[in-house]
Amino acid sequence: MNAPAPIDVKAATRAFLAQTEEHMNAYLEACVHCGQCSEACHFHKASGDPRHTPAYKLFPIAKAQRAQKWPLKWLGLAPAITEKDLAEWEELIFDTCTMCGRCTEVCPMAIDIASIVGQARKAFVAAGLGPADLLQAAENSRDHGSPLGLTPEKLVDRVEWLADDDEVDMPLDKERAEVLLTVSSIEAMKYPQSLSAMAKILNHAGVDWTFSTTGYEATNFGYLSGKADIAKVMIQRILDAAEKTGAKTVVIPECGHAYGVLRWGAANIIGRPLPFEVLHITEYMAKLKRAGKLKLKPYDTPMTYHDPCQISRRGGATEDARYLLDGFATHFTEMAPTGAHNWCCGGGGGVQAMSRAAPLRHKVFQIKIDQVAATGTDTLVSACANCRLTFDESKTALHWEGKLESIVEIIADHLVED
Amino acid sequence: MPDTGQDRPTLGDSLAARGISRRSLLKYAGYLAGLMALPPMASRAMAEALAGAGRQSVIWLSFQECTGCVESLTRSFSPTIEDMIFNLISLDYSETLMAASGTAAEEARLAAMEANKGKFILVVDGSVSTRDDGIYSTNAGKTNLAVLKETAAEAAAVISVGTCAAFGGIPAARPNPTGAVPVSEIVTDKPVVNISGCPPIPDAIAGTIAYFITFGKLPELDHLNRPRAFFGDSIHDRCYRRPYYDKGLFAKSFDDEGARNGWCLYEVGCKGPVTYNACATLKWNGGVSFPIQSGHGCLGCSEPGFWDQGGFYKPLSASVMGNNAVLGGAAAAGLVAGAASVAMARRRRAAAMAAASKPGETK
Amino acid sequence: MTVMGMSLLDFARGPAINTAMAVFVLGVLWRLVSLLGLPRSVDRSRPKAGVPSAPMAALAGIWRHMGTPRGFGPMSMFQVFNGWIFHVGLAVIVFGFAQHMLFLKGLFGLSWPVLPTSVITLAAYVTLASLVAALVRRMTHPVLRLLSTGNDYVSWLVTVLPVVTGLLAVSHLGARYETLLALHILSIALLLVWFPFGKLMHAFLVFITRAETGMTYARRGVKT
Repeated sequence: MNAPAPIDVKAATRAFLAQTEEHMNAYLEACVHCGQCSEACHFHKASGDPRHTPAYKLFPIAKAQRAQKWPLKWLGLAPAITEKDLAEWEELIFDTCTMCGRCTEVCPMAIDIASIVGQARKAFVAAGLGPADLLQAAENSRDHGSPLGLTPEKLVDRVEWLADDDEVDMPLDKERAEVLLTVSSIEAMKYPQSLSAMAKILNHAGVDWTFSTTGYEATNFGYLSGKADIAKVMIQRILDAAEKTGAKTVVIPECGHAYGVLRWGAANIIGRPLPFEVLHITEYMAKLKRAGKLKLKPYDTPMTYHDPCQISRRGGATEDARYLLDGFATHFTEMAPTGAHNWCCGGGGGVQAMSRAAPLRHKVFQIKIDQVAATGTDTLVSACANCRLTFDESKTALHWEGKLESIVEIIADHLVED
Repeated sequence: MPDTGQDRPTLGDSLAARGISRRSLLKYAGYLAGLMALPPMASRAMAEALAGAGRQSVIWLSFQECTGCVESLTRSFSPTIEDMIFNLISLDYSETLMAASGTAAEEARLAAMEANKGKFILVVDGSVSTRDDGIYSTNAGKTNLAVLKETAAEAAAVISVGTCAAFGGIPAARPNPTGAVPVSEIVTDKPVVNISGCPPIPDAIAGTIAYFITFGKLPELDHLNRPRAFFGDSIHDRCYRRPYYDKGLFAKSFDDEGARNGWCLYEVGCKGPVTYNACATLKWNGGVSFPIQSGHGCLGCSEPGFWDQGGFYKPLSASVMGNNAVLGGAAAAGLVAGAASVAMARRRRAAAMAAASKPGETK
Repeated sequence: MTVMGMSLLDFARGPAINTAMAVFVLGVLWRLVSLLGLPRSVDRSRPKAGVPSAPMAALAGIWRHMGTPRGFGPMSMFQVFNGWIFHVGLAVIVFGFAQHMLFLKGLFGLSWPVLPTSVITLAAYVTLASLVAALVRRMTHPVLRLLSTGNDYVSWLVTVLPVVTGLLAVSHLGARYETLLALHILSIALLLVWFPFGKLMHAFLVFITRAETGMTYARRGVKT
């Protein structure tokens, strides 16, 4: 991907047409160009660039579909997509969409722009486009088990080190287990305490769980980069590991898109229902709390909670995080907007992995800074390592004084051991 | 025998001889001038002109008609109007009113034409049959078509009285078996004034003739060659029930509460909005009433093609043409086109998927 | 004024509107069938427990996107309100005006109570102002300028023309009533002909897309 390869318009067109589907085409045909979505988009809000309007991002795929539509095609009324289109929209499809779905909230036609962008990325990749670092991350996942170099060996290494350091039992490759716990390589590499924190909580609740060295990476850069084959490989690994251990539940760590792909996409990508339940760690902890298996000391630090898009807005687990914080975080102030309407971190959907998108991401973080400031707290808790990493980088860039926390880690730190 | 016009007594003399005062002539002229919205001075001028004028020679031809137009004129509620009209003019030929018939009548017509060549007014009621050279309506072996052509050639002006003469009327209604046409389609080389209506308002006939006598020219006409003075406003614009239309209060049938309350008759088919006539202002039978006032919607009788407008009781806004077959055909075509589109889209999709999954095709 | 040997009004009420209705029916069915006949993906993901049934979710989706959700945060509300104004305005005019009801009754045989003409006239002026405001915004707002295509402007025009010609016809301004009425009907014919091929089709598609999004989100247990 180093030398600029020619843009394969035919391949892109094929990829667009391969996605011809009632659901998708209805969305593409329904847009009334009202522009409401622009104000819902954190990238547009941060940059003020009209091109960052979500509806505008759909233009190439809509154009490709329209160009095939009878009788427009015969009448020569619908031009086909061009190299120029693809080159121009590459940035819009990859760098400036986190697939957070906030635009859908205000769309009078309720167009699911996020999912279309996810599909459109495939066509751009087929044309030979896409940010090199994102594509590299996807290939790393396929070739080395993880986008960030978390090979099975490294996982073993990390787990042994963490178990030792934090004095926590971290089962790896147990033959049978009720729960298969997965990891996000972002956590493993940047916030390793997160892994031992999850282990502590599961152990505290007496859960029969294990990590697997064959299916551990929950993130799916194949999906985020529009590489369907890699997306499938990543899902298959977890599926195999879960089936091997007989796990009834696969727990997704603090990672939004990992949850989105495994919880809602995986069964459709592999073409059959999953033989296990997929729960995000916040959902799972809420389940433990409901069962009375989570005994916590109060957490008194004034804080606010950032909803990861894929967990709250597109995952339906908004209430689980609140349930966990209820009676535990004694100084919890909701930010505004919150829950399903919360602003995105700006780094989801693989945007975090694109170095060239960093300046815009930092601008987006200002929205979050303002949201946190309005709550009067200075601790920002999240349930997504990707959000956390995005915040962390922007925090340094913008010299923000606030603190970033993980809900898993603060809960792990406040367990009451009998 | 018809006289030559020049030797006749003036209208004023003949009125005086009949005991009609100059004052009542002035009154009548004022009335006509008022109807036609002429300036105040015009009524005096009109009276002067009428009093001084020789009686205008008129030839009245009746073709495919029902005599309703003549009835309208002669059975006017107010005898004054009838009198005035017949005193204004010298009706030198009228099949309906004259005693003579057949060949004798024909001779009378030719004599009247000869005597007032180029000066007489030709009044026509009824439409003209044209199919098969007009054999469907003849008099003394002559078709109406031939008589019209012959007579009109010598006339100063032609006045088509009634909708049949003006626009074809009922004889021209679908399927129009006699090939009936309006007078204006036959007479194209001189002015034809249309005083439409089924029947027309008598004042409109009298007013137009009086105007011609007074000013020596025809009054201002609308795009259908009707005197603007009588056909300038729509029935709807002048209708006393108009406020109910504006309020959206409509009778739904002829015996409901709305009808009893005198609400607008639009919904039961009133054609007032697209009908131009003076019924709502002059009214009928000496100003007693007009159809809408009597509880029935306007039929639009003074408009072209009024008989074929889709039903007297169908609201103006209801669609006109039967279209179920067309719509059904369109629906079927839409379904077929949609199905064809789907088939093509599915094929394209399959081809695209097959091509994309070929080794070497994906990156 | 005559067209094809008949008065303009007869032409408008006859061949013009009938042809337009046929094109409308053909076009709408073509659009709907060519869309709904496309392959559909089956969602094999496990729905959250206790989520509403699909029809309920579809209805909820249709309802939910009627406006911006409460607590969404700062949004310019001009478009939301303005959109509501001209949509409701158009509905009031189309269904509340006696003459329109009678036209529809002539087509479908259904009738309903109507509003006073003064109310309809007022609604038409408000709608007209609202549509003009929408156009001004479309032509001046950077985002809308970027998004707008010929389709958007043509759709605007064919929507506004019936309002303008209708107002002229009701107030007898500019020409004889039957000419204005004919122009009004011709503008409707234009609207009907354009409808299936431009973005006005959203009037049908909105139910499809909102319902599908509603079902997707409900399956995920998302409450907004």
